[in-house]
Amino acid sequence: MSEAATTPVVRLDHIARTYRVGSVMIPAVRDITLEIQPRVFSVIVGPSGSGKTTLLNMIGCIDVPDSGGVEIRGEDVLRLSDNALADFRARTIGYVFQAFNLIPVLSAFENVEYPLLLLNVPAAERRRRTLAMLEAVGLAAQAKQRPNELSGGQKQRVAIARALVKEPALVLADEPTANLDSVTGASITALMRRMQEEFHTSFIFCTHDPRLMAEADQTFSIRDGMLV
Amino acid sequence: MMLFRLAIRNISRNRRRSIMTASLVAVGALALLMFGAFTTYIFAGLETGLVQRGGHLAVYRSGYFLFGPGNPAAYGIDDYQSVMRDINSDPVLHDMINVITPTQAVVGIAGNFNGGASASKTFFGIGLVGTDQEKMRQWNEHGASRPYVPDNRLSDPAASRGLIGRGVARMLGLCGALHVPNCPVPPPPVEAAGNAPALDPALADLAQSEQGTQSASGTAPQIDLLSATANGAPNIVSLEVAGVDTQPVKELDDNYVAMPLALAQQLVYGRGEHKVTGIVLQLHRTEDVPVARARLLALIAEWKLPLEVRDFRELNPFFVQVVALFSLIFLFLALIMVMIVLFAVVNTMTMNVLERTAEIGTVRAMGVRRASIRRLFLAEGAVLGALGASLGVVVAFIAIALVNHSGLQWTPPGNTDPIPFQLAWPTRPVLLLGTWLGLVLVATLATLPPANRAARSRIVDALRHV
Repeated sequence: MSEAATTPVVRLDHIARTYRVGSVMIPAVRDITLEIQPRVFSVIVGPSGSGKTTLLNMIGCIDVPDSGGVEIRGEDVLRLSDNALADFRARTIGYVFQAFNLIPVLSAFENVEYPLLLLNVPAAERRRRTLAMLEAVGLAAQAKQRPNELSGGQKQRVAIARALVKEPALVLADEPTANLDSVTGASITALMRRMQEEFHTSFIFCTHDPRLMAEADQTFSIRDGMLV
Repeated sequence: MMLFRLAIRNISRNRRRSIMTASLVAVGALALLMFGAFTTYIFAGLETGLVQRGGHLAVYRSGYFLFGPGNPAAYGIDDYQSVMRDINSDPVLHDMINVITPTQAVVGIAGNFNGGASASKTFFGIGLVGTDQEKMRQWNEHGASRPYVPDNRLSDPAASRGLIGRGVARMLGLCGALHVPNCPVPPPPVEAAGNAPALDPALADLAQSEQGTQSASGTAPQIDLLSATANGAPNIVSLEVAGVDTQPVKELDDNYVAMPLALAQQLVYGRGEHKVTGIVLQLHRTEDVPVARARLLALIAEWKLPLEVRDFRELNPFFVQVVALFSLIFLFLALIMVMIVLFAVVNTMTMNVLERTAEIGTVRAMGVRRASIRRLFLAEGAVLGALGASLGVVVAFIAIALVNHSGLQWTPPGNTDPIPFQLAWPTRPVLLLGTWLGLVLVATLATLPPANRAARSRIVDALRHV
């Protein structure tokens, strides 16, 4: 087995994060240590305000802990400069947001193509991979449509395609089915599971959705900023 | 490419706001180009009038410019015809020169003693070569004057015919004889005052005798011109007044007498060597003035002649003052327009950044660098500025065409008669490109504060923004 396959995709070492709200300090994450292995479907669950999103943000390198260490694919991300960290995110991490967060002025095709532009992938290659990904999520026919012309489920499919098109090591999703009805949510859950298996990517979710929890290979429960 | 495609799409999100902002930029461009066109026209019109009358460059005896006008006879250029010939045959200057002509300044007293009249006044006269002056009046490099129709009054072969200012005609009581419209008759002289310039009785006799020697067969009225010769002796000549040549400045108009060069020389130098006070050069193109002037100075130094060279700007400080005044007004207007554009773009882009905060967080999370966020918003500001400035250029050209075909007339400074009100096409690169690029630059720079704010925002905060 190769080293990449055995190195944890995420390694958190006693991380803590406290927010200041006015003069009050609120500990969002307290001394969490965990490892997530490659190619697994992981879920972070917990009640609202338990620190799920803060934890996900630190794993996704868009927030930094006050203390502790964060390694993604063996890279100590806390030592990276702002630009290096941006490049690292562009290469390594895909995001799926609760509110889809598609760029409204770009078509479905262009939204999916966007991460490849950041990686300077040649135009022909970009087109091939974008079309393949839209095909994979069942939206090839909607390639030219803008987000405001798509349903909620279609938007989330585009978002999944956008997250996966660059073939990242890690896809993070914060409540990806929260804004969808139950039927659509179920189909999105199934899609993500299928894509995870197909692309051998690690998925980490924050969710309250029992269907997603049921799909998980690994579940982390968090309460009051600590794993329980 | 993707950057500008995104920028164009982003500014089309809130079309009404973008159109309003671009319209303000367009108004800025319109105002600057229209005023620039107006000042260009003013400058061209003034320059044309001055160059038609006085040429681009004048060669004087050293010291004439500062001290000569009070005593032109003392500042004559010796052997001026050789100097003119040498200047005109210079290989550098020859192709630049349109007209080279001598002039003789003369000051003295003009009197009208015909038909029992007895009016006199001081005058500033100029002796000219009429045919050269006719050619000079046709100079119209900028197309800023009506085509000159030669009236042969200046090039009249009669050696003693000339023109006087309207004010001179009025004060000498010649308006009736010269058929000058709207020209009042002078009131009867007040005997007791005794301050009016009057000829010495001996000189009046001399004038009478001169009159007796002049042909009085023509219908033109005749005046007598008295001056001191270079030797200090009084001299007098008669001038048949062919008509009035109204001057743009009243003080000049009240003293202006134009006469044939030979007559002026006869008045100033008598039987002595006939010199001239100035050699006037009119060039084909004004832009050649610095080169021609430098060449003239080099030649004068080489020939070791006591001469100096002045250009039309030095000879007409009024022109420089008008240029400075209009340039200052243009600068003031430009500053106002810059402020308007600045605030409009800052406001629009600040709102754009605020509305797209979550989107900024999204793309930053996807791996877009801070600098790319800043670049995107700067590109949006530049596109807004470019759209507005381009619109302003188009509207300005349409507006100028409408003004130029409207048939409006006005009398610009330095002119004596109303002329069609025209705006110059703002095709000078410094005006057209300067305005366009300037406004695009201002719009881009105005985007910098909101763009920086967008680039500096924390990703998690931006993603939480509603």
